[in-house]
Amino acid sequence: MKLRIAVEGLGACAGCEIAILDLHEEIVSLLQDLEIDYAPILVDKKSLNENVDVLLLSGSVRNKHDAEEAVKLSEKAKITIAFGSCASFGGISGLANLYATRELLERVYLTTESTDNKQGVLPSEEVPALEQFVKPLKEWIKINYNIPGCPPQPKLVKEMFQMLLTGKPVTLSKKTVCDECDLKREEKKITRILRWGEGEPDSSRCLLEQGYFCAGPATRAGCEAKCPAALMPCRGCMGPPENVTDQGAKMVSAIASVAAIDEKNRVDPEQLAAMIKDVVGSFYRFTLPSSIISRKVSEEKSK
Amino acid sequence: MLETFEPYIVGFLCNWCGYAGADLAGTSRIQYPPNLRAIRLMCSGRVDPTFVLTALKRGADGVLIVGCHPGDCHYINGNFRTERRIALLKKMLSDLGLDDKRVRLEWISAGEGEKFATVVKEFVEEIRALGPNPLEGNTNET
Repeated sequence: MKLRIAVEGLGACAGCEIAILDLHEEIVSLLQDLEIDYAPILVDKKSLNENVDVLLLSGSVRNKHDAEEAVKLSEKAKITIAFGSCASFGGISGLANLYATRELLERVYLTTESTDNKQGVLPSEEVPALEQFVKPLKEWIKINYNIPGCPPQPKLVKEMFQMLLTGKPVTLSKKTVCDECDLKREEKKITRILRWGEGEPDSSRCLLEQGYFCAGPATRAGCEAKCPAALMPCRGCMGPPENVTDQGAKMVSAIASVAAIDEKNRVDPEQLAAMIKDVVGSFYRFTLPSSIISRKVSEEKSK
Repeated sequence: MLETFEPYIVGFLCNWCGYAGADLAGTSRIQYPPNLRAIRLMCSGRVDPTFVLTALKRGADGVLIVGCHPGDCHYINGNFRTERRIALLKKMLSDLGLDDKRVRLEWISAGEGEKFATVVKEFVEEIRALGPNPLEGNTNET
């Protein structure tokens, strides 16, 4: 009997589903042993009525519908896998935790430059209400495995399917992106932090040492450092490496460790901090909801 | 809020300067408030930002980090790293809605018992004025 799989995207972009198709020809041989029973993006079936063996959930729980769907579907599966970084850590949409729900709605429906909403109507009918915060999927339902990546790399997706078929567990790399990166590392003394697009990066040297903000030191390996190889600084999509609880904290340490401290080039700490335009958005791009401080708080309330 | 708010402060003191300074304050019998829970580390450079975040998450109202004066680090440049790390961390904390005054970095040598007591006194009053840590009890609503 074939292994029956259901795939559902919650608050997501459908990129993780497409990552399954990134297996290319290999998916044909995999389909001899498994059957994708339900996957709104991939197969034409409107709802899941029967039980399945494995549920792949991608995306974060952003609204009431996502929450309900996550609980309902996971009850029908023996194994639930958080597929992709949104499902594993909260993901990009987790950055919404920096704003109150009201601020988000007002920005999106009232104040964006392209909005034409003279009556100032906020959607209230036939759309599910937003959850107050984005929380990682494991706070809603029991998750058996996390498969990180934005989207998960084909190698990892293949390993995941093989685990489901043979029982051989997926081993996530214990290293960081820097360990897999081929760019040359030399002296660590940066005096300024650049955003991607400022100047022309040297194609042989470490991007962080050239001053580009690269999250490699605080990110789990497994992607073969594809982004830095193409001179695109790492954004941290694989989440924190082994034994690191907080990706942002690790990134703070990493930046402090490459800053110049010799007497001649010593960079002022305040200036260094000011050079990063969006600290939380850059350091926790994919992991804010599962970090130590998972959302913005207010000092006002304590008084 | 409680009638009288007593700040709970976690202090990370380096072995060679901060902790020795605290020791001198003690042996010299200089009085300072008991709100500080001191943790000795070999160097202020050992303070991983995770320690500070965890302390705040678990309810510390303030975190004090004490190292050697710049140039005096027992490990040559540990405190220069700390200085940059804490500056970045403070920016991150204020972006997360916390007052960055809740984290304070001070240079105190082994001979500055008096300064240690003054810094603790000042810091306790500063945190008292700020009020309890908004993260406490996880009732943090934006």
